[in-house]
Amino acid sequence: MTARREGESIITSLGSTTPPLASALRAARPRVLACGGGKGGVGKTFLVANLAAALARRGRSVLAIDVDLEGANLHTCLGVPSPRSSLADFVAHREEDLAKLVVDTPLRNLKLIAATQGHLGAAQPRHFRRERLLQAVHRFPADFVLLDLGAGTHPAVIDYFLAADEGLIVLSPEPTSVENAYSFLRAAFYRRMREALATRAVRRLIAQAMDQRNERGIRTPLDLLREIQSLDPAEGARFVASLQQFRPRLVVNEVRTSEDIKLGFAVRSVCKKYFGIDAEYLGYVNHDEAARRSMLARRPLVDSQPTADAAVYLTRIASKLADPRRASAEAREGAL
Amino acid sequence: MKPLAEQNHYELLEISREADAAEIERAYRLAQGAYASDSLATYSVFAEEDAVSLRERIELAYDVLSDPERRRAYDGSLAGEPAPPPSGGLAFELERERPARSPQKPLAPLAVAAFDDLEAEAGSSVYDGARLRRARMRRGIELEQIAQVTKINPTYLRFLEEERFDDLPAAVYVRGFVGAYARCCGLDLAAVVPSYMERFETGRIARKRGRPGQPL
Repeated sequence: MTARREGESIITSLGSTTPPLASALRAARPRVLACGGGKGGVGKTFLVANLAAALARRGRSVLAIDVDLEGANLHTCLGVPSPRSSLADFVAHREEDLAKLVVDTPLRNLKLIAATQGHLGAAQPRHFRRERLLQAVHRFPADFVLLDLGAGTHPAVIDYFLAADEGLIVLSPEPTSVENAYSFLRAAFYRRMREALATRAVRRLIAQAMDQRNERGIRTPLDLLREIQSLDPAEGARFVASLQQFRPRLVVNEVRTSEDIKLGFAVRSVCKKYFGIDAEYLGYVNHDEAARRSMLARRPLVDSQPTADAAVYLTRIASKLADPRRASAEAREGAL
Repeated sequence: MKPLAEQNHYELLEISREADAAEIERAYRLAQGAYASDSLATYSVFAEEDAVSLRERIELAYDVLSDPERRRAYDGSLAGEPAPPPSGGLAFELERERPARSPQKPLAPLAVAAFDDLEAEAGSSVYDGARLRRARMRRGIELEQIAQVTKINPTYLRFLEEERFDDLPAAVYVRGFVGAYARCCGLDLAAVVPSYMERFETGRIARKRGRPGQPL
């Protein structure tokens, strides 16, 4: 454990002594996290703001991007009242350089690309534009880039989610939220499969499976796998490989009882039994009035009140994200 | 990736072939909760008949694996089956609880995340009400369960967590409450009780001083 921590500090300490090397390492690739979950109001933006702040407080350079063009408010949560530039400028081709859209936040190490709208009616960026955006995001010189996704299962939202190194699904212990989390997961699952698989017949099969009332009786992804295998064994193998790489992270927000905590385990089990995917239960955040007050005060809770109950949980999740090697070592130790 | 129908008892409970009795118990209780008929996590995914059959199979798996004799026989029947390949890895594994030294057995923890050591407060020796609650919730224990075991009024237990010092009885009782609470949650009494009591005493004094006119 100490060895890993030391390994970590090598990179950070390089930052102060040999800037070119450090920036070269950094320029290599930020870790891109996307936070979605289907339902509005489950705390996606709250989570992104606080995880971004917690990572920044740990000394990592962080860029938070609001890609929720229809309900942008990440800037408010981060205490940037009226950002002078917006992702909307990039979407509308007014600005090609993502770096020029970056604004400072009151927090050290934390920068923001807001999504405030200059005018109404700007739609989701088209596919090609999204690709450009994601390319730029993956090259951005920061340790972490956090994407705050909008609600729903629009292809743009799913694309951001799938393009991220880690996709976080936020849910709260309510039927509507859990249902939407599954719709989100299902949409992400099928989209990923469609992209991973090449032949037209198989793609058509997946499109059929996405229709819940399909005639082939494909009810679960496992049924789908069976169908694909009988149609094209090579594609079947690709399907399984793609499945194994797909590891959404679950965060349960607004936890009030220990029963609520168990929801994460239950959803993880459903992911395995129904979707055949290994989701990771990243953690939970309890219900805390201080969280609401921090939103009103327009400051991330982990910054304004790091010892508040919810802040402790948020910080814990951020530590897990900050040290992926540790997490993956844990995974290896915990492997069945 | 095995279809549910072909999964063996271990795969069904999502445990390894080497799982000990405590792990089996925990996995069973989690699965039982996850696939209960009113479960938030499953009602929108599994059709009712699938859910029923899953529940039956979970019960059967537990019946077999929790009985050493039947488990041995079952393991023998699996002998020909290749052990499952290591899965992608579950970074969020159930913690193996340390055996409790205290005479009063802690309530069996249900699901404890392995990020105890990642806690921001791990280095802190202060046990406040919120920290007690975090420790309790992480262990999957409800206040009512503690109340049942300790016979302490659940309202007082809640006041402990909320640090409503003025609504709690005399210190000597509170000391007993905190101790019982800590034992139930498998916490270290020697660390928890003095720390909490210090907060309790200073909190009460401060409040009394802050309210002139109130008898000391």
